Amino acid sequence: MFDAIRQYSVPLVLALVLHGLAGMALYANWNPTDREKRIIEPPRAVQSSLIVLEPEPAPARTPPAQPKPQPKPEPAQPKPDPAAEQAKREAEAKREAEAKRQAEAQRDAERRAAEERARQEAEARHQRLDELARSAFEEALESEASELAASEAAQAEAVAQSYRRGIYEAVVANWSRPPSARNRMEAELLVELVPTGDVVSVTVIESSGNAAFDRSAEAAVRKARNFEVPKDPDIFEAHFRRFTLLFRPEDLLR
Amino acid sequence: MPEQLSIFELIANASPLVQLVMLLLLLASLISWVMIFQRWFFLRRVQGEIEDFEDHFWSGIDLRQLYGELADEDALTGIETAFVAGFKEFTRLSEDGSGDPDAIMQGVQRAMRIALTREEERLETHLPFLATVGSTSPYVGLFGTVWGIMNSFRSLANMTQATLASVAPGISEALVATAMGLFAAIPAVIGYNRFSARVEALMNRYEAFSEELQGILHRVAHARQG
Repeated sequence: MFDAIRQYSVPLVLALVLHGLAGMALYANWNPTDREKRIIEPPRAVQSSLIVLEPEPAPARTPPAQPKPQPKPEPAQPKPDPAAEQAKREAEAKREAEAKRQAEAQRDAERRAAEERARQEAEARHQRLDELARSAFEEALESEASELAASEAAQAEAVAQSYRRGIYEAVVANWSRPPSARNRMEAELLVELVPTGDVVSVTVIESSGNAAFDRSAEAAVRKARNFEVPKDPDIFEAHFRRFTLLFRPEDLLR
Repeated sequence: MPEQLSIFELIANASPLVQLVMLLLLLASLISWVMIFQRWFFLRRVQGEIEDFEDHFWSGIDLRQLYGELADEDALTGIETAFVAGFKEFTRLSEDGSGDPDAIMQGVQRAMRIALTREEERLETHLPFLATVGSTSPYVGLFGTVWGIMNSFRSLANMTQATLASVAPGISEALVATAMGLFAAIPAVIGYNRFSARVEALMNRYEAFSEELQGILHRVAHARQG
């Protein structure tokens, strides 16, 4: 009995270990095609640059043209005696000059006020626009900074995203549209690359339902042959060794 | 995109009969591996023992002295047992005093043959089990597979629209049984072939030794008579 235990315990342990290893290997390698769920979406972003619209110089509002005060109609007066007439005329001239001056002063003040108002208005508008532009710019800066600071992974992701966009554009550029292609058709392709960016294999993993479309998408990738990929091997391994590409051209007419 | 099925899910979802088959095959595989390891160690040990004993035997030691040494030991190895059996018979018969060398040699031969038969039996333990596992477990696995596929097709009959996705998991799960059958059978067959070849080689060595010993004893018996 003890002899049997001695004889069989080591083999039993070895056999159990062997089966355990086999089971683990099976479990670990059951999905050798552990597909990246990361899908290259058609880029939604468009290249843009921030343009601050210079406000048009506010047209200095010209003060409304003051109606020229009508020169007072000269009263036709009978000619009285020259002296009286003289005095009267002098007084009249004086009065007239006085009125003229007054009107002039008033007009001046009005014009100045209007100019002042226009200037202020223009200034306020300037300021508002400036503020608007500055805040937009600052926001953009801030978001960019926070994105940068977020983490290394996010940076890598951002790099990968930009390369993905490039890959997608290359595929679209090489794509020839089959006549049966319709809008909203999409095919998911599994693409495998080597670190030089050369395409090793392309397979349609989710058909659009239209064989011609699938073939054309596959052919587009094959035709592209070589994609620009990041030099960083980590990013390449993580994102581009094998990846799924969602081919969804949206510029179809029908 | 449906999630990839894990192999353990596949096994867990299989029908009871298929699961039973798989369990049987797993046990068969486990036991056959235990036996493979056990035989491996055992036969290696026996080989070492034979070599040690032969070295000792041909070192010019007196046979009577060797017999005396071995008779005191409790645990004798296979080849030692054969030697002790043969030599004991020889001394017993020659001391009886009939003196006929042929009769003595016949007795020695018989005793050694019996010892060798026992030894062969000991060497060949478990080999029939390995042979059985090796030859039947593919069939058992195949049975599980056929049963699983039958079920899978039967359930297909209830569907209005049969897609590959509705049959594939069933077939995949059924095929696990065949895989397990092969997994159990291949090592068992290899082990069986290897070990039976080794047992045969060892038996040849035993027989050669027994012939040599008989030759020596024969000489002694005739010398004594003459």
